Amino acid sequence: MAFGLTRRHFTRGSAALGLASATLARPAIAASEPIRIGWLAALTGPSSTPAIGFDRGVRYQVAQINAAGGVKGRMIELVTRDTQGDPTKAVNATQEMISRVKVHAIWGPTNSGESLAVTPIMARFKMPNIHPCVVDSLIDPVKYPNAFRMAPSNQQWDDAVRNYCLNIAHAKKVAVVGDTTGYGTSAVGASAAAFKKDGADVVYQAQIDATQPDVMPDMLRMKNGGAQAIVVWSVSAAMEARLFDARATLNWDVPFVGHPAMGTGEIKGLVAKPENWDKVYIIGYKSCSFGASGKLPDRSQAFVDSVKGKIALEDTSLWWVVSGVDAISLVAKAVAETGSSAAPDIIGYWNTLKAYPGLFGDFTYTPEQHNGYPTNEVVMSKADSSRMGAFELAPGYT
Amino acid sequence: MLPNIIAAGLAMGAVYALIGVAYNVMFATSRVMSFTAGQLGMLGGVLGALFIHRLGIPAIIGFPLALAGCALVGVITEIVAVRPVLGSLDKHLYVLSTLAFALMIQQFTAIEWSTEPQPFPRLFGIGNGGVGDEKFWLPVIACAVAVIALEYLYRRTLIGHAFLAIAEDNFAARALGLPERNLRMLGFALAGVVGGLAGFSAGELLLAFFANGALLNFYGFVPVALGGLGNNRGAVIGGLALGLFQQAANFVVGGVFASVAVFVVFIVVLLAAPQGLFGAPAARRV
Repeated sequence: MAFGLTRRHFTRGSAALGLASATLARPAIAASEPIRIGWLAALTGPSSTPAIGFDRGVRYQVAQINAAGGVKGRMIELVTRDTQGDPTKAVNATQEMISRVKVHAIWGPTNSGESLAVTPIMARFKMPNIHPCVVDSLIDPVKYPNAFRMAPSNQQWDDAVRNYCLNIAHAKKVAVVGDTTGYGTSAVGASAAAFKKDGADVVYQAQIDATQPDVMPDMLRMKNGGAQAIVVWSVSAAMEARLFDARATLNWDVPFVGHPAMGTGEIKGLVAKPENWDKVYIIGYKSCSFGASGKLPDRSQAFVDSVKGKIALEDTSLWWVVSGVDAISLVAKAVAETGSSAAPDIIGYWNTLKAYPGLFGDFTYTPEQHNGYPTNEVVMSKADSSRMGAFELAPGYT
Repeated sequence: MLPNIIAAGLAMGAVYALIGVAYNVMFATSRVMSFTAGQLGMLGGVLGALFIHRLGIPAIIGFPLALAGCALVGVITEIVAVRPVLGSLDKHLYVLSTLAFALMIQQFTAIEWSTEPQPFPRLFGIGNGGVGDEKFWLPVIACAVAVIALEYLYRRTLIGHAFLAIAEDNFAARALGLPERNLRMLGFALAGVVGGLAGFSAGELLLAFFANGALLNFYGFVPVALGGLGNNRGAVIGGLALGLFQQAANFVVGGVFASVAVFVVFIVVLLAAPQGLFGAPAARRV
């Protein structure tokens, strides 16, 4: 029988050989290729403060893991894109990370505006995504089975504030105010409704223009209404400082409770006197709060001690830094445990986590619940007590 | 409640009035409504905070430095955004050029200064935040001083008469040999000083914030429209009335609705008197 090599045989043979070599080579390549983690960070622009803090933790943890030999021999490669807080830039960076760089998981974005824009895109490509954004609708295991939250949601913040006012400060008459942004408006509405549902008397509910130079009219209405606590939902440090000053002018000792922005260092320079910042309690976290002994919880204290001189903590929030550490650890752990960086394996592993001991908190996820941060970790802190990015617990906690 | 309304209302009214006067001073020498007036106010606060609070320069030196900075920005406005479009005033290109320049000033300040409000230093330490606090009365005093000084300038000095001549009839003034371009630049520098004075005196109230420019541009225009374009006395009365009404509305109906109330009244007034409450309808030769 004659054996002739035709062009058809050659083409078929080449294709078969190529397919076989590609299939055989894959495990070897996968075993050695770096684990690429996309990091969508608003490192510049007006909303860059949190991302700069997160970034310190992210880079520290990547360096730690790589210095220890990587994850089963695979180094972590961080793919950072500065989104500048702009949803359009975040969308472009996400598409680049998925289509061109081919990352294995994405951490971020770290603000809800960007996250609302990119979450459906990541869901379409089934990209494992972990983020700290608070807007409730960002987590939906049916629509977005790939997206996991590792910080509290708005709902959890709201619950913590309400719990403090009603059950710890025993304030049954509350005023709820916010700024006139979309966030302020929706947060005030939801918070006031929840207070009323729990039987509280909402004596004043309003949006205040953040540029309003005199907030005395609002403060007088709250005082005349008999408010025992003022709940504030705003990121405007200037408006908050004006509220604190107006309270001092009225010689009123009502507590302010609410948004963490009331604890930013800028407030210190904006209030007329430092003591005007007293009795202001902001949302905080047990893991990043000093207890009565003046120490952080053991895990956090050990971390802070170990990074002394390596990570600057004075000008940022500790929870941003430890969240960055935890985000990288969660991806690395998924690859280490499953031996794979394939998207279904990472997502599948995260879905099995039960009280995973992170620095920021113990994360628990199931296929039906991707809000992984425990509500009981959310506490109130004294706004003017910042030290190394952490705060003292508000009065009433033991 | 009434003392609060009067103190805060007069303070903000004085700021609006000064911005209105800055609009008028620029208009008088160029026939241009320059929408940089509010940014001059913003710069007064920012430069004051920069020199006195951040750089630690004594207030007595920081104050004239801040005003000089604003005067310089006024002159640059004339050169960059006004002079190139003077030849086609009927096409109203100055709206675009001055708004664009105002936006540039705002963005430059945001990048180089801060996107967050920064503290403005206490100048005299008078008052404890109540109605007697200096933050409420400094803008009122500044407004009174500025108006008296402008009246003196326009009525008693040769250069003031030259300003009035330019404002009255640009072509005739030039025919008489008045240096129109130099006077126009001087007018813009003067507007810079007036706008800067508004922002500096209200620094403790408004803080040093890049976004104050847009706010002052907007509310500073209202007294101009209410008082009649080019009428400084009208702008002062209109500004003080606006401040008092706005603050009263804040107390009665609350912050968000106060803005609505202000503009409802503004529109009603303009419907009743389109030339402004203190302006006369322009006579036209037919």
